[in-house]
Amino acid sequence: MFLQQLINGLTLGSVYALIALGYSMVYGILELINFAHGEIYMLGAYFGIIFFGLFTAIGLTAFSLPLALALTFVLSIMFCASYGFTIEKIAYKPLRNAPRLSPLISAIGVSIFLQNFVMLTQGATDKVFPPLFGTAGFRFLSVQMTYLQLSIIVVSVILMVCLRFFVRKTRMGKAMRAVAQDKVMASLVGINIDTVISVTFLIGSGLAAIAGLMVAMYYGLVNYFIGYVAGIKAFTAAVLGGIGSIRGAMLGGILLGLVESLGGSYISSEYKDAYAFILLIIVLLVKPGGLFGKAELEKV
Amino acid sequence: MKRTLLFLMLISLISIGCQKKQDVIKIGIAGPMTGDQAKMGMDFKNGVSLAVEEWNSQGGVLGKKIEIVVSDDQHDPKQAVSVANKMVNDGVVGVIGHFNSSCSIPASDVYNRAGIPLITPGSTNPQLTEKGYKDVFRVCGRDDQQGRIAALFVIQQLKLKNVAVLHDKTTYGQGLADEFKKFLDGKVNVVYYGSIVQGDKDFKTVLTTVGNKDPELVFFGGIYPEAGLLVKQARELSLNAKFMSGDGTIDPKFIEIAGAAQAEGTFLTFSPDPKNMPSAKGFIENYQSRFGEIGPYSIYAYDAANILLSAIRKANTTEGNTLTDTIHMMEFDIALGKIRFDKKGDVTESPYVIWITKNGKFEEYWKP
Repeated sequence: MFLQQLINGLTLGSVYALIALGYSMVYGILELINFAHGEIYMLGAYFGIIFFGLFTAIGLTAFSLPLALALTFVLSIMFCASYGFTIEKIAYKPLRNAPRLSPLISAIGVSIFLQNFVMLTQGATDKVFPPLFGTAGFRFLSVQMTYLQLSIIVVSVILMVCLRFFVRKTRMGKAMRAVAQDKVMASLVGINIDTVISVTFLIGSGLAAIAGLMVAMYYGLVNYFIGYVAGIKAFTAAVLGGIGSIRGAMLGGILLGLVESLGGSYISSEYKDAYAFILLIIVLLVKPGGLFGKAELEKV
Repeated sequence: MKRTLLFLMLISLISIGCQKKQDVIKIGIAGPMTGDQAKMGMDFKNGVSLAVEEWNSQGGVLGKKIEIVVSDDQHDPKQAVSVANKMVNDGVVGVIGHFNSSCSIPASDVYNRAGIPLITPGSTNPQLTEKGYKDVFRVCGRDDQQGRIAALFVIQQLKLKNVAVLHDKTTYGQGLADEFKKFLDGKVNVVYYGSIVQGDKDFKTVLTTVGNKDPELVFFGGIYPEAGLLVKQARELSLNAKFMSGDGTIDPKFIEIAGAAQAEGTFLTFSPDPKNMPSAKGFIENYQSRFGEIGPYSIYAYDAANILLSAIRKANTTEGNTLTDTIHMMEFDIALGKIRFDKKGDVTESPYVIWITKNGKFEEYWKP
């Protein structure tokens, strides 16, 4: 049972981690908590359902399921990334030199707008993602796992490794780290800050889109307010790991998933959500910067 | 002086506004019109609209046309109280509604204070009619009757030894689960009793714990979105116990969410199929041609509206007290058959039966 709960927690945690990355990256660079990020995740799930439905309607799914799925992923990522990009340009950029509270309130506004926009255009009822793989899975060492669950964990890990490589080894990654450390200095050495910020939003939104789409496939149920709960959880994960740190967001997310699932099974499932926040309070009391907050020099 | 004048002008304006509306009779509909339970709210609205259209085409009631005021309680008790107050201020003469017991119960305080009758087509928690309000009526059955039938079925028909009980912590869900557990009465072991959170999507943690106790059946007190996810995730964890739930789960969306293969064989407690009732034939034809497939509560909403309107006709007034007394005295000949209300406002007979999910459809399965 322990192993099974570990896997349940790991699946949940990988999704939290993917969303938490978006919060952390934006915070690292702009010191802005992008409350609209949860909504991008929700949009990812909706775009997934819309495009997959479209491909099914034109017969592409019947022709080749992997192709249809791949295209669905690519299109969802592109649409969500462009949403993220546009939101930054419209709602945050004009406020870059305003007091810190202004962009935060703007972010909450965007979040409320997107929720209602989706509710009005897509309807308030639950949307169901067609079950593609049923309950197909395998058994390994008394652990029952579906293929979808396995792919969520694998895809998340691959994405996180890629992101870490991107931030540490590439030119753009270096620029991001520079902007995170000091915007003025970075611009003095010739880094285009606007481009760096846009790239951050594009990557963060793309990751949220993947998380949203995978969750839509896994649970099969999507509605316009899933972004709210997921956003709060992911934000908690980001703070837990030390907001602004990429490694912190990854580990914070996975830790959160594990605590929820193990606490839920060994103490009581009724207070599942409470454990995550109790852990958060303890960590913040002991280490106010989060697990990887201040100690980590590389801050993006 | 100026202020008084202005105030008077305002008052007169408002009263002119009211007077203009006096040539219609307003009835309220309340339920979850948006959110994850919006489907149930829609069924209410469609059922009541059909009844009102039929009455209006015959000239309305008391010589006036009937108008519907639709309110969305978002299955939130706070919102329910607020829309209840709003409808009372709007001057409705009676309310058909609230789907969730957790909404109907607090809202009934508001209607009771205003002295207007509330007829619920879907709130099954016993507390609603146990509060001693004489102007609260219920067209559907009660959870204690429903829990009893479910327990009876598990004991007599399935003859099981170990069951697990889950609920969603709502008044309806927990009420139903508790009644089920009570009527098992030590004849069946309850190996696990616990709750989940309404609106949550991941239940694998609790299901893994449940699976470890090896129950032969999992009973869930709650509504279809969570029920669908529970069944689906249980099967993914190869927890192959039978699944049973109440009337809140009997919705096509349940099968869609769980997947037809996973939902197969799920038992549900619900009232008998209207399709087998001769009295409901006309209703079914009209409803289907107007709105498409019948929802589980459409017929109750339709009947609730008919009860209210026939009582208005009989009482020859829309005054709340007289209207309430009239509903208590009358016998109604409606789509569900002939019904009467007892002192508490419950229907005198409410036959629950067991349904089963078969080939992606619900059908009647067993009656005691």
